[in-house]
Amino acid sequence: MNVQLLQSGVTLFNALSKHAELVMQVYLTGKLDEHKTSPAVIESLIKHGIFWRTEDEGVIRLKNAVRNLLESSLHDEKTRHIDANIGASLAALITLAEHYKEALFHGRFAETEAYLSDLTEHVFGLTETLANNVRVLFSRINNEFGYVASLDAKIRENQLAQTQVSELLSQLELFRFDKLSDLAGSNRELRHLLVVTLQHSFSRVTQELSLVQARLLELLGRFREFKGRTRLLKGFLLHVEQKPEYVPVNYCNLSVVPMLLNQAAKLLGDAAADVQRVEHEIELQQLVSSIRISRRHNNGYQPQRSAQQIHVEEQTSVTFVEDGLKQAVEGYFCEVIDTGQRLTALDYYQQHNLEFDPEAWLYQVIGGYQSLTMEEQQYFAIEQSGEDHPIYSGNYIIRDVELGLR
Amino acid sequence: MISEQGRVLEQLLSGAFICQISDEDSWRYLKTSGNADKVETHLNVLNRTLASAADGEVFYAAYQTLAENERKVLSSQFQEVSSHLVPLVEWLLLVQQASGTDVPVSQGSAIRLNSLQETIEDTPAFSEQLAKISHYRLFGSTSTTVDGQIKQVFKRLTDLGYVIKPNQDKQIFIATGKIEYLFEIIKFIDETEALSLAEQAENAVQQGSLI
Repeated sequence: MNVQLLQSGVTLFNALSKHAELVMQVYLTGKLDEHKTSPAVIESLIKHGIFWRTEDEGVIRLKNAVRNLLESSLHDEKTRHIDANIGASLAALITLAEHYKEALFHGRFAETEAYLSDLTEHVFGLTETLANNVRVLFSRINNEFGYVASLDAKIRENQLAQTQVSELLSQLELFRFDKLSDLAGSNRELRHLLVVTLQHSFSRVTQELSLVQARLLELLGRFREFKGRTRLLKGFLLHVEQKPEYVPVNYCNLSVVPMLLNQAAKLLGDAAADVQRVEHEIELQQLVSSIRISRRHNNGYQPQRSAQQIHVEEQTSVTFVEDGLKQAVEGYFCEVIDTGQRLTALDYYQQHNLEFDPEAWLYQVIGGYQSLTMEEQQYFAIEQSGEDHPIYSGNYIIRDVELGLR
Repeated sequence: MISEQGRVLEQLLSGAFICQISDEDSWRYLKTSGNADKVETHLNVLNRTLASAADGEVFYAAYQTLAENERKVLSSQFQEVSSHLVPLVEWLLLVQQASGTDVPVSQGSAIRLNSLQETIEDTPAFSEQLAKISHYRLFGSTSTTVDGQIKQVFKRLTDLGYVIKPNQDKQIFIATGKIEYLFEIIKFIDETEALSLAEQAENAVQQGSLI
């Protein structure tokens, strides 16, 4: 194991963690603000290969390798590009495989081991790159190129993605499995790496790419339709603006009305309640009860219920003119008291030549007696004279009333 | 209980547009083969026929044969539709521009009233545009605030069936298939009268006109 390599790797990571915030800042903004950082730190980071200084402007930027590391670990697809250089990787693979075979042939086992591990790393690196590329494409499709705002930009991004897909596909054609298989020969490790692993990844990637291609075309179609629609709307407004008196021709007066504009008027009205239907009884009752409730709730402003000012004044006093009949009855009572004799009502009637209806007179006398207080009634004795009704039992016909003092 | 067929018939006869957004069940029913024919026989009794627009996305009832009365109805209907075109198109463009995605409103687009309102309030050009749109007779707003104007516009659009509000408690509106129908009408007018609207827009963009 190379101790020196290990140590320098650890110092690199230490430097990264020590200046993590600075590195992230540069990753996000694109360049380093030199005034805010000490030159020593910048120098050491440049020495570690984390930053680099552009030659023409002297601006300090993040090294591509670090940027790639961050992009893949943070799944930040915004600025990621698709690395379609499969040919070079394949050539490297083949070279390594040749090295491995030669070392094996000469029996240099230490070397073969190193070559094999190198080769394994390369193969997995290649498969990972392929899988990553497809993933990037998919994530772009899935949010419908949401990272750019305008439709035109989306269409451009879509076209870029399409060229990338075709590029990837043409690169994939560089996979010659017959050659790889020949190269691997009967070596188990090589066969596993060059034929099985690569073929597996190859078939998966081609399958996914064809899916990507279909989706991209579909999306492009949709974007184009959107664009067409927007143009249509804007064009319409423009047209109306330029010709304010423009009114579309009334197509409904043509002999053949286009189906699009043939929309029938509404036909159905509301049905009415049928109170004769027994099965609707419950519903109708509920409806009726709800009507009552709604009326009670809706009785909002009622002027007669609102607060009113009450004028407190003296009520005009009403004096009843006591009618003659009543006065005559009083006179009759007074006469009985004065004389102390029993006297029938009709006799008094005749003595004083009263003009009332005799029946009314009798009624008034009885009423006058009844209207006295109990105490006063006790001074008088009243006796009705008359007979039972000849036909109907229980009826008593009063002929006269006799009043006296007790 | 009313059957599925009855429900669909009722909707069609009451002049509704059936699409996947406004009534998915009825739309699926009509999309299922054979069902459309069943509905058609019933409609024919009443001189109606099942019509569809926007590649079968929207269904509605049309007249089977046109006599004097039907023509009168269609004629006045078309006049109404054509008077709605300008306000609706301006509204569509406003929503498209204010939503920031540059994607036109189409069937199924969700419009969040609150975020739309925020954008419009923050952008004087948009609020001017909204004020203009809301004062068209179609929307008939008399309000002077963005809040009042936008609510009135969306209320009218819901009444007319261009958008629906799936949840009464949330201010999220979804465009229905009637929007697609509107596009079809504009497309139809464009093609029939050879207005070449899209080209006009394209030329205006190239000439740097501010639209």
